[in-house]
Amino acid sequence: MAEGLNYTFLFDTFFIALSGVPIALFVTIVSMLIALPLGFLLALTRINQVPVLNRFSQVYVSFVRGTPIIIQIFIVYASIPLILSSLFEKYNMNINVYDVNPIWYAFIVFSFSTTAILIEVFRSALNTVNKGQLEAAQSIGLSNFQAYRRIVIPQALVVALPNICTATVNLIKATSLGYAMSLPEITLKAKVAANVGYNYVEAYIDIFLVYIILCSVVEYGFKLYEKRLRKYKYIAA
Amino acid sequence: MLKIKNIHKSFGKNEILKGVDLTIDKGDVVVILGPSGSGKTTLLRCINFLEKADSGNASFGDLHVDLHAASKKDIHSIRQKTAFVFQNYNLFNNKTALENVIEGLIVGRKIPKAEAIEIGKKALEKVGLSDKYDSYPSQLSGGQQQRVGIARAVALNPDIILFDEPTSALDPELVGEVLEVMKNIANEGTTMLVVTHEMSFAKDVAKRVIFMDGGVVVEEGTPHEIFVRPKEERTKKFLKRVLPEDYTFYI
Repeated sequence: MAEGLNYTFLFDTFFIALSGVPIALFVTIVSMLIALPLGFLLALTRINQVPVLNRFSQVYVSFVRGTPIIIQIFIVYASIPLILSSLFEKYNMNINVYDVNPIWYAFIVFSFSTTAILIEVFRSALNTVNKGQLEAAQSIGLSNFQAYRRIVIPQALVVALPNICTATVNLIKATSLGYAMSLPEITLKAKVAANVGYNYVEAYIDIFLVYIILCSVVEYGFKLYEKRLRKYKYIAA
Repeated sequence: MLKIKNIHKSFGKNEILKGVDLTIDKGDVVVILGPSGSGKTTLLRCINFLEKADSGNASFGDLHVDLHAASKKDIHSIRQKTAFVFQNYNLFNNKTALENVIEGLIVGRKIPKAEAIEIGKKALEKVGLSDKYDSYPSQLSGGQQQRVGIARAVALNPDIILFDEPTSALDPELVGEVLEVMKNIANEGTTMLVVTHEMSFAKDVAKRVIFMDGGVVVEEGTPHEIFVRPKEERTKKFLKRVLPEDYTFYI
C-alpha cells in the first residue's frame, strides 16, 4: 500500500458499482413479488394446520434456514442446467442451456430462500392478531377472504413490516452473491473493474458505499410506509 | 322466530352442551344465567357458527339448518339475520368507530357507502357516541368500545342480537353505561339473547330467564318465577350465591 489509494479509480469505480444497482434491485423486487404471496399462503397453511402443506412448509423453512445461500446458489446454478440439458436432449430441442441468462437462476434461488424467511415472518405476525378480530368479522357477515383482506392482514402487516424490511435489506445484500453465477450486479462489476489493476481495496470501498446507501434508502422507505400503516395504533386520545 | 333443538357440543372429551332446546319469539329479551362452565357462551357461539355444534337443528323463521352440517350459504344467511356482541368487544383495531359500524353494512350487506354512513352515524348516536365517529378503538374506554360493539350489531338491523357477557370485561364503573344502552335497545323491541351475570338486568329487562347448568337448561320462566319462586334446587343454590340477601352486606 505504498502508493496509497487510487482516488481516480475509487471515484470512477463507484459509478461502475452504481451501474449494478438496477440488476440488484430488479432481482430483489422480482424475488420479493414471488416470495410475498407464496410466503403468506404457506404461513396460512402453518397456522391453520393444513395437513400436508403444513408439514411441507416446516421442512422447507428448516431446509433453507439450515443452508448458506451461497451453497443454494451453487446447487441451483450447477444442477438446473444439467437437468435442463438432459431434458432438452431427450426432446431434441436445440437450446444451449449455458446461454441462459444467470438472472433466471438468481430469481429462483433468491425467491426460494426469501419465501422461507417470509413464512416465519407472516406466521408470527398473523399470530399477533387476536382470533376475536376474525370472529367479529365473520359475525357481521364478512367471508373469510374479506375478513383477512380488510381486517386481519392490515393489522398483521403493521407487525410484519419491520421484519419484511429486514428480509428485503438482507435480500439486497444477498444479491452480491450473484457474482458467483456471473450476475452482473454491484459486486461483480466492481470486482471486474478492479481485476485490471489490482485495485481491490478501492473496489471494496465502493461496493461497501453503494450497498450502505442503497439499503439505507430502502430502510427509510419502509419506515415511512410503516408510519402510515400504524396510524391507528398510537394516536393520543 | 328462533328455535334451537337438541344442540350438542363437546370439546374433546368434555361435553359442554348436552342437548339444549331454546325458543325465542320476536321482540323477546331472553337472559341466560348460570355458573361458569355451564355452556352459556358455547350455546351462543354455536348459534352464530363461531363454533360448530356436534349436532342440533336451528329454525330461523322459514330457514331450517342442521347446526353440524350447515352449508356455507346457510351459515352466511344465518349470520345475516344475527349479530354478535362479544365479551371483549372485538372491535376492529385498524378501523375507526364509524368504520367499525359500517364495515358489515358495506362489505357484508352491500349497502351503498353514503347510506351505510348515515345508518352508522345513527347507530353510534343511539349509544351516545356521536362525538367519537373518528376515534380508533385504542382511543376509547372499555365502556365506549362495548357501546361501539353494540352499535355495530344494531346497525345491521338483525332479527336477533346475541350478547356474550357484554359487561364482564368492564371496570365496575363502566358497566352502567353499557347496561343502559342495552335497556334502551331492548325497549325499542329488539330481540335479544343475553348471557350475563348482571342480575339487575335480568330482573328488570328480561321477558324470560333461562338457567343453565352442566350443559342443560335446568329451569326457565319469567324473571319473577326464577328469582322469587325457583323450583329447582340447583337454581336456588346458584341464586343464593349471586344474590346477596337484602340488607346484608358482604365484604
